[in-house]
Amino acid sequence: MPEAPALPRPPGSTRLRSLLSLAVVASLLVIAFRQTNFNLEALFTGTADFFRFFGRLVPDWSALPQIWAPLLQTIQIAYVATILGSLLALPLIFLASSNTTTDPVTMWVFRTLLTVLRSIPDLLWAALFVAVLGLGGLPGVVALTLFSAGVLAKLGSETVEAIDPGPLEALRAAGAGRNRTIIFAVVPQVAATMVSYILYVFEINVRASVVIGLVGAGGIGQLLLRYMNFFDYTGVAALIAVIFAVVLIIDGFSVWARSKLI
Amino acid sequence: MLLVALFVLALVTMDLPTWQRFMTGMQRNFTPLMRGLVRPATGVFDLAWTSMVQTFFMAVLGTALGATLAFPLSFFAAGNLLGGTRWALPGKALLVAIRTFPELVLAIIFVAAAGPGPTAGIMAMGIHSIGYLGKVFSDVVEGIDQGPMEAIRASGGNQLHTFLFAVVPQVLPEFASHVLYRLEINLRAATILGMVGAGGIGLPLIQRLQFRRWDEVSMFLLVIVGFIIVVDAISSRIRGRLV
Repeated sequence: MPEAPALPRPPGSTRLRSLLSLAVVASLLVIAFRQTNFNLEALFTGTADFFRFFGRLVPDWSALPQIWAPLLQTIQIAYVATILGSLLALPLIFLASSNTTTDPVTMWVFRTLLTVLRSIPDLLWAALFVAVLGLGGLPGVVALTLFSAGVLAKLGSETVEAIDPGPLEALRAAGAGRNRTIIFAVVPQVAATMVSYILYVFEINVRASVVIGLVGAGGIGQLLLRYMNFFDYTGVAALIAVIFAVVLIIDGFSVWARSKLI
Repeated sequence: MLLVALFVLALVTMDLPTWQRFMTGMQRNFTPLMRGLVRPATGVFDLAWTSMVQTFFMAVLGTALGATLAFPLSFFAAGNLLGGTRWALPGKALLVAIRTFPELVLAIIFVAAAGPGPTAGIMAMGIHSIGYLGKVFSDVVEGIDQGPMEAIRASGGNQLHTFLFAVVPQVLPEFASHVLYRLEINLRAATILGMVGAGGIGLPLIQRLQFRRWDEVSMFLLVIVGFIIVVDAISSRIRGRLV
């Protein structure tokens, strides 16, 4: 008589492995506590201070007239950078995708370039270009353009690599050149997804353009920094409220537009 | 058409990007910038490395803090556990509010409230991460298989049993994967938090940027990019195994 099938049990190594990963995580945390001189006491007193500080953040709405111009500049920076970044990303996408690129060396070069572009955080780009181009909105636009190009090209080349190869082969078999193949076989397949990615990058850029002013790259962040330096907490509060509302509205719009697309 | 018109309008009305200024800035700084960038100053490697290591551990603690706080919160934003989507709405709204708040602004507030240093940065990252982690955690919870929950309930388990033995084992691997992904994001964020005094590599880096010490900037960038690429690679390998 055949034995009744045993209840499935987790293999022995699984338990060992989870214990091991638990140990790794725990030791990482211990090292982290020592490395950063983080103490729990500071966490609690800090949190208390944080809420006390928040209590002082009573918005002073008379600061509003001062806010509009830098707010508009912030959105402009994000918008212009998104468009420029998309334009810049367009050729990069096809150079970095395995099914549209000319040869593996080009692909590798551009992929590495994209990885480096994305490894440097947007705010760091901003600080770098402030040092090169001086204060103002210009370094912000340049920084966000480069960063969005990196993100978009990466997302785009993943999309391009996942397309249906049928139309591609059909056009190639009919003797179409590389550019025609891309225009008629690849672009129609990826256009909707790309627009949704562009909207997504626009969301990221709005968030980034709010804070790049803190390193001198224009927009509302610069005003925020000034208020902070003068301890004008009521102004800070009004500013934060406005930022909050704007980010929420743009996010909402973008989520809505993306849901219509796909 | 509308998009193009808006783009032109935005370009024109922005007082700043005079092409000329771009060119003069580039002319003045491009050559020294490039010369510095291709010759990283080896002398600051030790400083860059130790600050980057500190930055990494800031990111680890920030992520851990965020995950710890997001874990309980996510169950209050998951409709299937609360018996209806509408009960999850307050939790979801709270998470959206947290996500919307820029990390760097949080960092500034913590620096003002608790003084400069890594603790401020860790707390800013921790709070900000709740928004993202809570959202993806609750998505995971909403996507679980109801079978085990019903099985435990049918065999007489109470709410706590259902939660511990049917919900938690199903969601843990995916939670861990999202936490790792968040660690990658936080590592990037942590490199810049220092610019507002919240600890890590940002402070020594921005000082060198302000003095245009391009060769030293170059070394810092190398360390940052290298570190981030390695951590990303390790993290995505682990994530690939988890899910």
